[in-house]
Amino acid sequence: MSVTEYEVGRRPGPPTRKRVEVDPITLRVLGGAFHAIAKEMAGVLFRMSYSSIIRESEDLGAGIFDAEGRELCESDSTPMHIGSLPWYIRGFLHRLDGQIEDGDVIVHNHPYLGASHSPDVAVAVPIFHEGELLGYAAVTAHVLDVGGSFPGINADAFDVYAEAKMYNALRWYERGELNEDLDRMIFDNVRTETMNRGDMNAMLAACQLGKERFLRLVERYGAEVVMSAAYDWMDYSEKMLRQEIEKIPDGTYGPIVGWLDDDARNRDTRLRVETRVVVEGDEITIDLTGSNPEVPTGYNVPFEGSLLVSCYYAVRTILLDEVTFPEHVPQNDGVFRPVEVIAPKGTIFNPNFPRACFSRFCQTQRVVDNVNLALAEALPEKVTGGNSAGIHFCAYAGFDESLGEYWLYLEVNEGSYGGRYGKDAMDSVDNLMANTRNNPIEELDMRFPMRCDQYELRPEPAAPGKWRGGVGIIRRNRFLVDGTYSCEGDRQTDPPQGVFGGWHGLVASCRKNPDTSRQEILPAKVTGIPFAAGEFIEFREPNAAGYGDPLERPAEAVREDVLDDFTTIELARDAYGVVFKDETTLEIDDGATEALRAEFAAHRNGSSLTEWYSERELPPSSAPTSTAGNVQLGIT
Amino acid sequence: VRRLGVDVGGTFTDLIYVDDEAGQILVHKLPTTPDDPSQGTVQGIKELTGLAGTDPSQLEQVFHGTTIATNIVIEHNGATVGLITTEGYRDILHIARHKKPLNFSNYQDLPWQRYPIVRRRYRLTVPERITRDGSVLVPLDEEKAREQVRRLKESGVEAVAVCFLFSFLNAEHEARVAEIVREEFPEAFLSVSSEVLPQYREYERFSTVCLNAYIGPRVSSYVRRLEDELEAMNVKTGLHLMTSASGVATAEGAVARPVNLLMSGPVAGVVGGIWAGRQAGYDNVITLDVGGTSADIGLAQEGRLRMKHLLDTRVGPYQAMIPMVDVDTIGAGGGSIAYVDAGGIFRVGPRSAGADPGPAAYGRGGTEPTATDAMVNLGWLLPETFLGGGMSLDAGAARRAFEEGPAKALGMTVEEASMGAVQILTHSMVQSIEENSVRKGYDPRDFALVAEGGAGPLFAAQIALEAGTPWVVVPNYPGVTAALGLLATDMVYEYVSTVYQRFSTLDAAALQAGFEELEEQARRQLEEDGLPADRILIQRVADCRYLGQGYELRVDVPSGAIDDTWRKKVRADFDDIHEREYSRRFEDSDMEIPNVRVRGIGLMPALHVPETEAGGSADDALRYERDAWFRVGGELKQVPTLFYDRAALKAGNELDGPAIVNQYDSTTVIPPGLSARIDRFGNVVIAIAVREEVPA
Repeated sequence: MSVTEYEVGRRPGPPTRKRVEVDPITLRVLGGAFHAIAKEMAGVLFRMSYSSIIRESEDLGAGIFDAEGRELCESDSTPMHIGSLPWYIRGFLHRLDGQIEDGDVIVHNHPYLGASHSPDVAVAVPIFHEGELLGYAAVTAHVLDVGGSFPGINADAFDVYAEAKMYNALRWYERGELNEDLDRMIFDNVRTETMNRGDMNAMLAACQLGKERFLRLVERYGAEVVMSAAYDWMDYSEKMLRQEIEKIPDGTYGPIVGWLDDDARNRDTRLRVETRVVVEGDEITIDLTGSNPEVPTGYNVPFEGSLLVSCYYAVRTILLDEVTFPEHVPQNDGVFRPVEVIAPKGTIFNPNFPRACFSRFCQTQRVVDNVNLALAEALPEKVTGGNSAGIHFCAYAGFDESLGEYWLYLEVNEGSYGGRYGKDAMDSVDNLMANTRNNPIEELDMRFPMRCDQYELRPEPAAPGKWRGGVGIIRRNRFLVDGTYSCEGDRQTDPPQGVFGGWHGLVASCRKNPDTSRQEILPAKVTGIPFAAGEFIEFREPNAAGYGDPLERPAEAVREDVLDDFTTIELARDAYGVVFKDETTLEIDDGATEALRAEFAAHRNGSSLTEWYSERELPPSSAPTSTAGNVQLGIT
Repeated sequence: VRRLGVDVGGTFTDLIYVDDEAGQILVHKLPTTPDDPSQGTVQGIKELTGLAGTDPSQLEQVFHGTTIATNIVIEHNGATVGLITTEGYRDILHIARHKKPLNFSNYQDLPWQRYPIVRRRYRLTVPERITRDGSVLVPLDEEKAREQVRRLKESGVEAVAVCFLFSFLNAEHEARVAEIVREEFPEAFLSVSSEVLPQYREYERFSTVCLNAYIGPRVSSYVRRLEDELEAMNVKTGLHLMTSASGVATAEGAVARPVNLLMSGPVAGVVGGIWAGRQAGYDNVITLDVGGTSADIGLAQEGRLRMKHLLDTRVGPYQAMIPMVDVDTIGAGGGSIAYVDAGGIFRVGPRSAGADPGPAAYGRGGTEPTATDAMVNLGWLLPETFLGGGMSLDAGAARRAFEEGPAKALGMTVEEASMGAVQILTHSMVQSIEENSVRKGYDPRDFALVAEGGAGPLFAAQIALEAGTPWVVVPNYPGVTAALGLLATDMVYEYVSTVYQRFSTLDAAALQAGFEELEEQARRQLEEDGLPADRILIQRVADCRYLGQGYELRVDVPSGAIDDTWRKKVRADFDDIHEREYSRRFEDSDMEIPNVRVRGIGLMPALHVPETEAGGSADDALRYERDAWFRVGGELKQVPTLFYDRAALKAGNELDGPAIVNQYDSTTVIPPGLSARIDRFGNVVIAIAVREEVPA
């Protein structure tokens, strides 16, 4: 069955299983139980897994799904995974529909058949009850290596065959029996066999646990009641989201246009991301028409497993914010239903097979940020200033002769949020759909032949605003042995956009061996470039944008920012119009401040931190570990 | 031994006095004095010793549980802390683990940024860097360190934390800076990472050590003040304080590391539950302590407490890498509010009416329907017996609250909605019990449920039916079980150090030395606390994981030589524990031991309480017969129910449900079809007809 015959984006429609009425108490009880199952599956997976990308970063998703892939519940792990599993299931059913047996374990990662991207491997276990296939317990997790051209990350790949080994609806176990040859095929063809095995065992354990737990519910309450409650909860989540969409005036918002740095190969060509948000009654459409045509590298986005997920995320996060919205609305099929997504075939958001699409995270983050910006006028109290909406996701690797295997370390470098209505932004944190944990420095240094030489907020100030933007990090990582470095990143040219008078943010940068004679400016996306022992890399992650006019920020708050080095005396003057009498005591000169603010109110004195820095040197890093490391390892 | 336990909670200060020899046991309760909790404590001690016909000077031991440390953190009113840290890593506390608490929220706060333990202006750096083998890559710049300490002093901080990378391998730099702090700024409270917590994972370590500094000044002045006041009352032996690791520490020991007092609150309840369970003949207990706003759930097999996983040891929103007893707290209590949300879902809690205004039935202005109101509507709580008749209940208000709220919204009767609210809360507690039992490899059928707190005994029987525990034990004084727990515990200190050893290439000598060093520390502390050698117990614990994994599990390991037998035993025990926790074992994988720990235990004399008088029949304690609502055979109906007075029940008395037992600070519900008896210590033991099968 050819991949190209697969109908992309087709939803299964309303459930057809016979439903019974569930009393409100049982409904509430089962809702709690569903959530607990997903949470427990994820807990088992990340606590017993091997690779840090799963156990520390929780780059995983877990849940229970019905026989057509409708989501009953999903874990609160990384949002990028949440909502992709239904598409994996529909993807593997393309080949296996009607052939699934009790005891099968399915492995799937095909990006043109529902997968989020090829390294996010799904393991799914069918749940049978009295001969009926009720659904699946399934998880996805990012495995370290999937046997592409280069270790770990392949932003520049010729096609899907070069980016990874494809697992298209494979039965790892058949009716409870291990498929030994397939098992060898899977694990012989990745660079990190031990880690992948440990992680996939953990994934299987999580699925089996989910299945057992779900069957206990079925035994206790009956399949009719349990499945009906599941569908009732989907209707509930759908209703809650529709109520919020309906409050937005009908209309087309945007377009917002953002630019991605390049496609990982053609360095001077930026890629267009155009986004409109169309609200009609209680339906919302995210329209990406006008976005860039597909690219010849691995920088395309799988439509189902990645783009749809990002649009679902954007809508629910803005409209059902877990802090400002009073009820916990469970994540299930219902929150997907009111959201339509348009991305013309042949664009980076809906590429043609067999284009590679290994690296898709930065593009989808930009969609989320664009949706946020498009809704600013309509929902000023729910949006943020432009976000970092990108990452530097890196693979550090080398071959360990003593083990006969590769060592491979994946790292997600965090971003920052834009300023918010009524409060300052979040600094140095995973942004939007990213929500991973960093690896402790002490763990990294002890476990890998690497050393982290610097890790703190970057030295440049926050983007000004009535509520300031978030500050990103500076990080330096050094190879202590020869190895290769790959990265998928972005946002080194197009800064986060300010809203309501807040300044645009500061772009990211990436340098190899900075401040030495071997310094090289690196693009955000590189694949398999060699690093000699002692060489190192530096990231500065974006400072996100401000919210509101900086002249409206109380002078006292600006002074506090100076004290905490969130802004500088110079920028306090240039952007906020705040003047100090004395640079040591930071006593505010009220008269001068009032006069300068009046002047800036008449003639704005800049609107972009990136622009402000275009006339200035970026402040240097101050990291004795880095300097001493250069001396120790002969990098001059 | 004449001993007194005093547990200071958010609303009440609970006290218990036990005199083993005289066979005397007394309890007391008074409102907590939030501005200075030592006032209520002292007053309580005076009042209770007075009730016992003695005075404070006759006390031989005073044990104290306090939430003061936790409250400082939760209310963000600790000391102004300065941090001296490695240059190039100024913002470890600000970045934390770069993960947001919530997935779907752009408007959430990151607590460590919104309410930093150390503000950025007080995080100052000095050049220095130790590497992964303990060697020095960047020597310490002492001049810079001195300059930074002076800056902190000038800026008015009250406490200083010193946190460098890899100080758990080489503490020289931290020790030198500590000396400088003592020279330049001796009045500052000092917290040094290699002393407080020589354990790897920099964010968790820094956070813990800075929390220690944050709470240090206030906690130590509180403890000292209390000590002074005890001294003024001529209490001869020193004060002992409950720690999160389930033991007590002396005042000196506690003040040295105040961080160990964090989250000690719920621990005493579990320890008290273990004691009560054991007294009733059950070594395996699940403890359920339900108050007005929350429920604490703990589990102990054979009397042994379980410790929390590293990722779960939080204080409020902050990470604290200290040994913490595994107690699960959920937002379910007597004050939990029942409502129907905009999507038509029936919810109860976590929002609570608290003590003020409290449930509608309290008549203090509360109009929202709560669990307590539900129980009034069901006829379980009688207006005439509430708080020993000391407080009247407004049954009409309880009824109106449900009528106009959930009953109307769901088209149910008041009783149906009330029973529904109770069932929903019951289920959330059952779910927590399951997460902590079945899901961790413990079979609830092997456990007794110990009901504590004012509201625990109201829910316990129903919960036991659902969760599958065959017995419920309601101790004599469910409302003060935590105070009792203070008297039932030993002294415990735990020490940790990072060794990072691989099992296949184990350096036995180094590991042995690592253990011995910690043992020496533990022994010294206990000796300083005045314990004779025959009452000192030293236990070894190793944090173990399969090679490649990122999180450890605690394994109790044998003392003595680290030889093949030792290895085999540890290996097998770890495989078992891993299988229990995650339902899988990997015997082919190598293992590693990142940390070793030593628990120093100072044994306290066992607590003896007198037996309850036996004889007569429960009829002597029967006070009322009223109709109350219960679910019988799936149908909600009114059935005649007997109301007993707990104080009048005697050992050997038997009660058949539906029955309700009233006492001053708690009410026990025995649903239809169940029966209970009073054991020789006065515990109400309810036998539960358990389903054959373990619930999901």
